[in-house]
Amino acid sequence: MIAPALLDNLIKVLINLILATAAIIIVKRDVLSLVSTYSIQSLLLVFVASVLYMENANVMLLYLALLTLVSKAMIIPHFMERIQKKLNIKRDVEFHYLSPTSALFASVFIILVVYFFLFRILGELSLSNVFFLGATVGVSLTFMGMLIIFSRKQTITNIVGYLTMENGVLLFGLFLTELPLIIEALIVIDLIMLTLLATILAFGINSSIEEFHARLNPFKRFAAFKSRLLNNEGEDE
Amino acid sequence: MFISKGGRLVRRISLSVAAISCILLLAFSSIVVYQNQALSFSLYQMLPALQFSFFIDRLAAFFILIISIISLSVSIYSIGYIEHYSGDTKKNSLVSLMILFMLSMILVVASKTLFSFLFFWEIMALSSFILVMFEYEKKETRKAGIFYFIMTQLSTVFLLLAFIMIYNATGSFDIAKVSDASPFVFLFLFAGFGIKAGIIPFHKWLPYAHPASPSNISALMSGIMIKVAIYGLMRFVLFVLTPELSWGLLIFGAGVISAIFGVIYALKEHDIKRLLAYHSIENIGIILIGFGLYIIFSAYGLTQLALLGIIGALFHTMNHALFKSLLFLTAGSVVNATETKNIEEMGGLIKSMPYTALFFFIGAISISALPPFNGFVSEFMIFQAFLMSWSLASPMLEVLMIVGLTIFALTSALAAACFVKAFGITFLAAPRSEHAKHAKESSFSMLLGPAILAILCVVSGVFSYQIFSLLGYASLVPNLMIISIFLVAVYAFAFVSLRAFASNNTRIGETWGCGILSQNPRMEYTASGFSEPIVTVFKSVYKTKKTNHRTFFDKYQSIFREGAGEIQLFKFFEEYLYMPVARATDYISRRVSCFQRKDLDFYIACSFVTVLVLLLIMGWLA
Repeated sequence: MIAPALLDNLIKVLINLILATAAIIIVKRDVLSLVSTYSIQSLLLVFVASVLYMENANVMLLYLALLTLVSKAMIIPHFMERIQKKLNIKRDVEFHYLSPTSALFASVFIILVVYFFLFRILGELSLSNVFFLGATVGVSLTFMGMLIIFSRKQTITNIVGYLTMENGVLLFGLFLTELPLIIEALIVIDLIMLTLLATILAFGINSSIEEFHARLNPFKRFAAFKSRLLNNEGEDE
Repeated sequence: MFISKGGRLVRRISLSVAAISCILLLAFSSIVVYQNQALSFSLYQMLPALQFSFFIDRLAAFFILIISIISLSVSIYSIGYIEHYSGDTKKNSLVSLMILFMLSMILVVASKTLFSFLFFWEIMALSSFILVMFEYEKKETRKAGIFYFIMTQLSTVFLLLAFIMIYNATGSFDIAKVSDASPFVFLFLFAGFGIKAGIIPFHKWLPYAHPASPSNISALMSGIMIKVAIYGLMRFVLFVLTPELSWGLLIFGAGVISAIFGVIYALKEHDIKRLLAYHSIENIGIILIGFGLYIIFSAYGLTQLALLGIIGALFHTMNHALFKSLLFLTAGSVVNATETKNIEEMGGLIKSMPYTALFFFIGAISISALPPFNGFVSEFMIFQAFLMSWSLASPMLEVLMIVGLTIFALTSALAAACFVKAFGITFLAAPRSEHAKHAKESSFSMLLGPAILAILCVVSGVFSYQIFSLLGYASLVPNLMIISIFLVAVYAFAFVSLRAFASNNTRIGETWGCGILSQNPRMEYTASGFSEPIVTVFKSVYKTKKTNHRTFFDKYQSIFREGAGEIQLFKFFEEYLYMPVARATDYISRRVSCFQRKDLDFYIACSFVTVLVLLLIMGWLA
């Protein structure tokens, strides 16, 4: 049996690593590394759940870890990579409202606000240090995901934002509310559907349905760019 | 139902059915009023707390009585009137909506719960809105309709606020006594009902909506819909809240202002329906004066005077419904016959439309409060209450009463002047336009409808003493029957003696001719001419601006070249009350509309910021 204090410290390290991955997602412009960062983040979550299982011996946590491992660390990143390859988007350099640096500062601010808020609300519950940290980072992660969604223009980055948000919810659930397994499973199915849909849409653009282009704003630019390229090639020939 | 199909016969049948049901209702409500009993029944339960249940006591039955009388005569009138419009679909929808409108008014009055009150209130507002928009092809009508719609919805909003506060205080939707309501409940109720009743400064929709809507609808709206608002005010102030002296003063003040400004604005109008609309404001003012006096006198424990005030107000409510609907219906006939609403272009109609003229005349006498007609009786009661106000304890209030009394007296006098103008210019002298020259008397049903009201105007005036003693308030009014018998005797005597003793040589001349031969209609007294002195006297009220520009041929300004003069009327309430609100709304909505973009990211950013701010606030409060 490992000492509980060691486990606590392990969890703290893992949570900080998760926070670091979120920060990386916020600032990264390279799409491929975004997806791999996300899968690392999910993997870290799996570790957190496993360590918690060692402390609590709750089978539910093990199931959660397994589910997360399969869906978020493997299936979803796989789909994302396929989209990325198919669309041939390598970089996402367009930003809305916030540049990456200011987004990073904003997320520091968010963590402070959330900390303050949770301290005021949960103060009287006298949670252990680790649980409090986990809950704070969980809520902050949700906010950071949202921040990613509105500050990036590429749809693929937006999807990563949604996924990050959900990881935040999972983290919060692990530490504070005991998220039931069934809800977590449903959320995972939602996420898989989201990525699947995104994949289909991405492939749909490559097929001949021209009307899709006008409807999907983020993809439209890309499509126009591509058709211009194609036309140029045609002229060259 | 029959909106797209069915012709004249279907409309006739449905209007007749409406008329018959009005007669039944009339019988029922008169029994309730006479026996002074209360009935209550529940109809339909939608949700546990929300049910349509009805309750009819003497007050409600009295208003149902008024509504059924007016609806009866308007239904009969409409049989002929609606045939002037074109298109079966339009005519049928007019009939069906009109009946829905009447029904909703009755059910508002009969409502037992706040929920059904508000529900039918809204049905009433919506159906009347569509009816106002009936001639939606015209630009003015659309403007009037939108204006009316905004005002009427505003009234519902205020009522909703008040009802929610009542519900919070009592925990039930029943219209029942609330022990400690905040004064805001009264203010909201007053604003809500005030907008609907057309109290100044919420009156502006009346002069727009009445001329725009068909005349039978104007008769319903002016005759009874604004009375439903009065009913609501009375019901809630007396039966739900506990009236206070300050409320009485507020109602009294609003009444005085509405009365005097209503009649002053009416004087300058030449559009016959708008003129009548302003008179509605005036009469609502008179009703509110009576009601305000009731609350003031009750607060000082003077029950007899208070009774005089409230009975005067209620009786005036009925009388105004009678003669105002009568005037609107006859005005509708006139407008139909002459195809104009401008009284300057009428004239001489007494020869071509004698019965319509007679009915209009009866209505005009009643509204001018001349004895022995009904308008006199109710105004007399309110005057009596005023004159007895020396018995009030507070000298400040006494001064206020005297000021109110003088304004009220001025109002009555100006109303009489205004109807001299309205009747004289419309019906007397020679026709001033081609249409007026070729006007024809209306059809039978369009005469029968007003005839009922005209007869009731006379009956409720002459036999007012008998009616009141039947209801148990004998000492309030003088016996007008004796006075009217005396008056009739004097007239008969004068007539007979003239017939017998005056010279029989007939001299044929033209009316108001002053001996001028071959006179033409332009030489007659015009409506503008008639009201010019009054407009000049009250120019501070109208904010009139008279301008004239003259140019001359020579530099000494003696040989006149050309000139132009104009009188501008400044719309005070529109400029200072309505337009700033409208502009502010416009400004805010323009500012807010910048949040509306075709950009998902922006919306997510907004919700992000909102959640963050909420978190901060919650953290602060926790």
